[in-house]
Amino acid sequence: MTVAQALFMGLLQGASELFPVSSLGHAVLVPSLLRWNFKQTDPSFVPFLVLLHLGTAGALLVIYRDEWVAIIRGFLTAALRGEMRTDSERLAMLLLVGTIPAAVLGVFLESRIKSLFASPYEAAGFLVINGLLMLGFEQLRRRAEHRAAASAKSRDEQEAHFAQAERISFRAAALVGACQALAFFPGISRSGITIGGGLVAGLRHQEAARFSFLLATPVILGAGIVEVPQLFASGVPLGEYLAAAVLSGVAAYASARFLLRYFRSGRLDPYGWYCIAAGLVSLALLRFSL
Amino acid sequence: MKSNSIAVGLGVLGVVFIVLAVLYALGVLQLFTSGPGNHYKHAILLVVLAVASFVAANFARPKTV
Repeated sequence: MTVAQALFMGLLQGASELFPVSSLGHAVLVPSLLRWNFKQTDPSFVPFLVLLHLGTAGALLVIYRDEWVAIIRGFLTAALRGEMRTDSERLAMLLLVGTIPAAVLGVFLESRIKSLFASPYEAAGFLVINGLLMLGFEQLRRRAEHRAAASAKSRDEQEAHFAQAERISFRAAALVGACQALAFFPGISRSGITIGGGLVAGLRHQEAARFSFLLATPVILGAGIVEVPQLFASGVPLGEYLAAAVLSGVAAYASARFLLRYFRSGRLDPYGWYCIAAGLVSLALLRFSL
Repeated sequence: MKSNSIAVGLGVLGVVFIVLAVLYALGVLQLFTSGPGNHYKHAILLVVLAVASFVAANFARPKTV
């Protein structure tokens, strides 16, 4: 992998990790479409991905630094007391409940699933499915809005009828967390699935995105940290990879800021249509070797 | 749902997770792994599950006022 390719992949990973468009799908598809011949099975590719993920997790930690301090404090307080009294304590427990299913499925299934569906054709197909899921989530949401907020005139009024992340039920948090495992299929977006799950569970769009990003942080950070020893294997161009990781972090920071603003009134639909179009175009390009 | 027996059960579950974590870390247990060796990823996950079990046990324990 050249320096330019590494930096491009860093930018792509950081931007697509938080947008509901599947970073893994793009990481499989884009090099293939650009006919870059670096091998993703190469031993030095795993440390590269590890650093990119740490860059993304770092960006999320910076954005939510105050909230994470409150969440960690809330977790310790509630765990020792055996009771939740504040929103931070409830959110801490919701994140624990949401993280466990994803972590269990990740440790036991991730490598098997990824190795089964690693081809660009499958990534393109799953990208189309991801798009349909995003549109489906929004369709369900529109029905809920019609029931709950039929008299609302503006999007802000509609959104006001829905809840904050702290009010999601524990069952829904576990279900949304478990859905993250679907993102092991390249083309299915982790953030898309969790934002969509949050919408179905009755959260506002912006709160669903916030819950998704908070839920992602321990998973991405944990997955990165356990692989850190691989960074010190011989032949790993650490300098280039670190530069790509910084770029990934900057892109993730900008993406998260944009999305949190966008989801004040925006919907998942544009990302759904993008995924369907990108998946279909990629399938055509791959099929006809254009 | 508060009950001493549920709390004790969750506490025991936590201890089981700790034991399994040690076995994975030492490479004794190879269940659901990619091959022989020390499986720190599995061990860390089981420690997290143990912590969650102990927290749940504390939540399930009836509180005296």
